[in-house]
Amino acid sequence: MKKNKNNIIHKLTLQTIGHEKRQQYMIPVFTIVLSLIFGLIVIALLGSNPFKAYYNLLQGSGLAPKASYAGHKGMITDFTSFLNALTPMLFAALAVLIALKAGLFNIGVSGQMLAAGFTATILIGYSDLPAVVAKPLAVLIGFAVGALAGALVGWLKHRFNINEVVSTIMFNYIFQYVISFLINTFYVDPVSRQSKNVGAAGRLTLVDVVIGDYKMDIPLGILLATVGIAVTAFLLNKTILGFEIKAVGSSTRAAEYAGIRVGRTRVLAMMLSGGFAGLSGVTYYMGYFASIQPKVLVSTGYDAIAVALLGNSSPIGIIFSSFLITVISKGSTYMNSASGVQAEIASAITGIILLFSACGAYVKYKVNRWKEDN
Amino acid sequence: MSDYIIEMNHITKRFPGIVANDDVSIQVKKGEIYALLGENGAGKSTLMSMLFGMYEPDEGEIIIRGEKVKIQSPNHATKLNIGMVHQHFKLVSNYTIAENIILGMEPIKKTLGLFKSVDIKKANEDILALSRKFGLEVDPTKVIEQVNVSMQQRVEILKMLYREAEILIFDEPTAVLTPQEIEFLLEIIRSLRDDGKTIILITHKLEEIKKIADRCAILCRGKLIDVLDVATTDTKTMANLMVGREVSFTVDKPEPQYGKEVLRVEHLTVCNEDKYEVVKDVSFSVREGEIFVVAGVSGNGQIELADAIAGLIKPTRGTVTLNGADITSYSIRKRNLAGISYIPEDRHNVGLVMDFTLSDNLALKNYFEEPFSRKGVIKTDEFTTYGDKLIDKYDIRSSQGNDTIVRSMSGGNQQKAIIAREIELGSSLTIFVQPTRGLDIGAIENIHKQIIGERSKGKAILLISLELDEVMNLADTIGVIYNGEIQKIADARELTPSQVGEFMMGVGGRHEKE
Repeated sequence: MKKNKNNIIHKLTLQTIGHEKRQQYMIPVFTIVLSLIFGLIVIALLGSNPFKAYYNLLQGSGLAPKASYAGHKGMITDFTSFLNALTPMLFAALAVLIALKAGLFNIGVSGQMLAAGFTATILIGYSDLPAVVAKPLAVLIGFAVGALAGALVGWLKHRFNINEVVSTIMFNYIFQYVISFLINTFYVDPVSRQSKNVGAAGRLTLVDVVIGDYKMDIPLGILLATVGIAVTAFLLNKTILGFEIKAVGSSTRAAEYAGIRVGRTRVLAMMLSGGFAGLSGVTYYMGYFASIQPKVLVSTGYDAIAVALLGNSSPIGIIFSSFLITVISKGSTYMNSASGVQAEIASAITGIILLFSACGAYVKYKVNRWKEDN
Repeated sequence: MSDYIIEMNHITKRFPGIVANDDVSIQVKKGEIYALLGENGAGKSTLMSMLFGMYEPDEGEIIIRGEKVKIQSPNHATKLNIGMVHQHFKLVSNYTIAENIILGMEPIKKTLGLFKSVDIKKANEDILALSRKFGLEVDPTKVIEQVNVSMQQRVEILKMLYREAEILIFDEPTAVLTPQEIEFLLEIIRSLRDDGKTIILITHKLEEIKKIADRCAILCRGKLIDVLDVATTDTKTMANLMVGREVSFTVDKPEPQYGKEVLRVEHLTVCNEDKYEVVKDVSFSVREGEIFVVAGVSGNGQIELADAIAGLIKPTRGTVTLNGADITSYSIRKRNLAGISYIPEDRHNVGLVMDFTLSDNLALKNYFEEPFSRKGVIKTDEFTTYGDKLIDKYDIRSSQGNDTIVRSMSGGNQQKAIIAREIELGSSLTIFVQPTRGLDIGAIENIHKQIIGERSKGKAILLISLELDEVMNLADTIGVIYNGEIQKIADARELTPSQVGEFMMGVGGRHEKE
């Protein structure tokens, strides 16, 4: 009897994710569905209605209408504020993705974000430059600082064979503590205990823009992120550099044999990765927020690793995975107030999704084994 | 009870997409040497893996000593006194010989009657006794990574004997050995038979079968073609049955016509990662239209020599000159452009990016040039056109043509892809390192023809080979390498195979000196 039951599960799984060509889409979907089911059970055990809680997540992200809104607020304002949160995540995921393609693990996205965000804040955010100059400059500085931080990691790997995982983790600490020292010493706002807010001219999100009856936040960075995704897709699939990055990432020895300069390619890949992390930093600290909280490293850089994996390490894939993860995190506040489910549950679900997505290769292996057995 | 020790009846084994064994039946008598002959992918190894319990047959039955059995695991097979020496040895390289042999059935002693530990002293003694008994002398205390391949193979054989195997399966045992070592191994196999053991020999080398086997089953594409009495069958018939068509043994090679010198290597010395000299003061030159073969036993510095010429390792001393230009300090890319093609030993990790598509791999050496790309942007159409051309010209078979992920292709077709790519570069020098390793007769024949074809076009060929037959068949000039030093360079017509074999062992030329 037990055997029979197993067979039904086997057949069901095989029919859904057994097909080799569809596997690259179906396995992430499978892990997400599994995680959401897990979340349903946890929320039900806590005594709340899980379906309502999930609906709250959508409402909180501006993807479904809430029962009532405050003045000048509506679904559309929730949605633009959702896009505001999505922007840094997209850039961070791109950063992880490019490094992954070159066979490198950029754990340092959060640190690179902070370094870029901080530099742009003090150079542009606190300056008196007019908006037309300040905004592009903030973006450029963010990219440049991130790229430098990334290139340094790549160079250390190439020159001294220092594992990038170790060096990026160490740089995370260095950036975190040095910058919090600088903020606390020179730039602290005595009331909020954070860095002083950046001026509106340099800020990459337009705040409280009045359109019709609504007051909304418009993230300019989302346009840049869209371009970033297109550029990355083009770079990886259609350029010599992309070809070389992928070759180095899949087989260093074969790449070297083919005449590719492995060290140079790695440094370039890390530069691009760091650059995107920098863009993530400026859209986070000078867009989504306007200040930096000292001694705190945002989780975006770590979540982005999983987002990139869940998105199948493809530029198009990360649109979907960033979207999903941001819905869960952004909607969690509303879920908490509307259903009384702790916001931490949302983080737990994110964690489970990421855990399962990291098991993607195993799931694939297991399913293909079943397929052989049948 | 029948007089067969093993009967495998109507065995069928399917893998996704292929039938590896299709209704194969073989019967082996006790105390005979039974050979399984077939090309790569003919299903020899699959058949034996089922006998050794690694797979279960989809259909059919296995009868051992008159009893029907279902062999579930290698451990189960060992209990039935079946042993197997795999093509790739399964040894723990930082364990001693004795530890490897006893692994899994260690003699246990108890200190103070309580604490169990492995009685390594007893193991050493047992193994020494065992090795003497079968004429397979080993030093049980030596560590595996310090002994050579033929010694490792002895360890594998002793492992079976230690487990009291009566049925011994050898999977391509001679692939890694020198001619002299092969002779010795065949002698051992013969004496094991005389001791009453039953031997199954998987091979695609006909001479070995002719020398020692009693009977021979021929498999072709998963089907049993015939079982022959070796004594009354000639090798030509066996070969034709195995490939399923007429095979020519001798390579048709016109008289050499040498042109100007292409490659000159002078006093080349190469160190490995441990700063140990693996190539020592090597000098030679290769001319247009010449096949220069570096013959030698595996691990004598020939791979490093090839890598150093292709630029993958930096030599510590010496120069490499190509067409008159000193290229010693050139990067790999620059050497490729200057006219070096390189078919490396390691197809999987070096020669191909396994997770790339076939067309990407075929363009791996010229993706950065026009027409494949312009101003940093890749022209996908050109990749496809070029891929189609090479796939057609070199008969590279794969499931999805250009878009096939190379990892999923067969070894023979992967090698064809590398050779296609390298030959199409039109380089003046092509380095082949063990180009036919692990390939079947049909594929070998094809690659040999291509090498000769390049020679006829006036290209210089540097071939590194471990196979004596290949050396003798193809070489215009032979340089024998031993322990990193070139022992002898001579016109191929002046050397006999046994002389080359002696030089490969480092004992050549002694008679002359005495």
